[in-house]
Amino acid sequence: MPAKTLALAAALSAAPGLVYAQFDFHVHGRDVQVHSFASQGFAYSNHNNYVTMNTSQGSFRLTDFGFNASTQLTDKLRVGAQLYDYNLGQLGKWHPSLDWGLVDYRFKDWFGVRGGKVKTVVGLYNDTQDMEFLHTWALMPQSVYPLDVRGDSIAHIGGDLYGNVPVRKIGTFSYTVYGGKRPNDPDGGYLFGLSTSSRVTLPNGTFIYVTSSTKSITHYSGPVFGADLRWTTPVKGLLVGASYMKQDITTTGQYVKPTTIPYRLVTLKDPMIAFYVEYTLGNLRFAGEYRREIKTGVFNAPTGILIPGNENARSGYVSAAYRISKWLEVGAYHSRFIANWSLYHGDPMNHVFDQAVTARVDMTRYLDFKVEGHFVDGAMINSVLDRGFYAAPNPGGLKPTMNMLVMRLGYHL
Amino acid sequence: MRNQPMLTALLALAVACVCGRGNANAADLKIIANPSVSASSLSSDELKGVFLATKTSLGDGSHVEPVLEKGGPVHESFLKTYLGKTDNALETYYRSLVFTGKGSMPKTVAGDADVVEYVAKTKGAIGYVGSGANIAGVKTLEVK
Repeated sequence: MPAKTLALAAALSAAPGLVYAQFDFHVHGRDVQVHSFASQGFAYSNHNNYVTMNTSQGSFRLTDFGFNASTQLTDKLRVGAQLYDYNLGQLGKWHPSLDWGLVDYRFKDWFGVRGGKVKTVVGLYNDTQDMEFLHTWALMPQSVYPLDVRGDSIAHIGGDLYGNVPVRKIGTFSYTVYGGKRPNDPDGGYLFGLSTSSRVTLPNGTFIYVTSSTKSITHYSGPVFGADLRWTTPVKGLLVGASYMKQDITTTGQYVKPTTIPYRLVTLKDPMIAFYVEYTLGNLRFAGEYRREIKTGVFNAPTGILIPGNENARSGYVSAAYRISKWLEVGAYHSRFIANWSLYHGDPMNHVFDQAVTARVDMTRYLDFKVEGHFVDGAMINSVLDRGFYAAPNPGGLKPTMNMLVMRLGYHL
Repeated sequence: MRNQPMLTALLALAVACVCGRGNANAADLKIIANPSVSASSLSSDELKGVFLATKTSLGDGSHVEPVLEKGGPVHESFLKTYLGKTDNALETYYRSLVFTGKGSMPKTVAGDADVVEYVAKTKGAIGYVGSGANIAGVKTLEVK
């Protein structure tokens, strides 16, 4: 086990005791809040290596941390920023990044604007998916919130229009409309998958992904816009909503053998629509989401020939969680991802179905520990729609099912 | 009959959920505000909006900000009566705002006396105290 990991785990355990209070200070009479979080995970699977970790041998390479500072400059104007760093198997690589950094001006409760690097609101938890302490789960449902490709949807550089509109007796509508640019995530799963594997079409028309180092893909980016509307209904505890997101992503790099021509993958269409519901009754919480993502794109082969690359994915989950006491919460979810809806759904190379059961222990107000079992059916590799499985970390191939234990220790302040 | 233990467990869970909702009583609470808040009353939805940071001003346009107690029966009663959230859920909600850049943690203080003291000296502050608390220096808001 790396010494760095042990040191971090020790620091995680000690930090809440060392710094018990929220860290605030004042600048010119303004309260500046500073918050931080960190988590250390361990994953062990009976087969397959998941999200580029060496999980079949047991892996501690599941670490992240971040901290933010923000202040309310006036009653309507707020500024803040958060740094984030992670190491996930062969992803992340401890390269820190600006998670968000924004200026927010709320003209009215029903209309505000924020600009900068902004967390993207999609579905129930897109903007909070990488903060384990906010959720019951050690791993969020990976069909909708994949760890390895968080950078593909987590934030945009641009702006939001947002507001809350209460409607008498009908509830409250909260909207977000956004636009901007999707920033590159050079250490994420998308570029890792494209760079380390190639798709090979078999004589019967099916295809497989094999480990390959024939290209180096270094960059992706493009315009993104979308909207989210969520309705806090008059039924106590019931929230429903819908999101739409459109991205036009251009991915670039270079073939390194047998030729050295540039590689370019362009999405012609990439609309994603999501529907979601959350219902809370006392300490019991149900949630469910459904997403449809259709990608139409084209990329150039080493020969220069343009090849279409179309995807037609569906994903979703249902979950239930119950807080038994102040310190213990249990839950379970069923998550489904189908890479190509028009192909046979039962093919383990076309789906990832995951049943998870979790116990979350809140040891203190600032420290949590989770134990989670995953029972995964499917081992889909798709270098454009990654969901945890890659050819390179699995040189011996993938088995169609996998059981996995995940433990995670986290703190937040 | 094999399912009987499961059915019994589910029934017990349902009863626990219903009973666990408690009998919070708005009469046990006073909603107080700094005298700078011109409103004398607000709806329960407005009050909920103030404490969930979706509402930062009342009808007259003046800025308002919530102050919460760190725990205790008054705090629990307020959460059940007006917010419909548990303490854990409310804290998670605030943290989701803080860690996504969409809000700040609200002021929290130890008990009724500290709430009254903070509200009295802070323009736009709105808080809650037990019905027996001494509320000198602040005004009471009626919740419709």
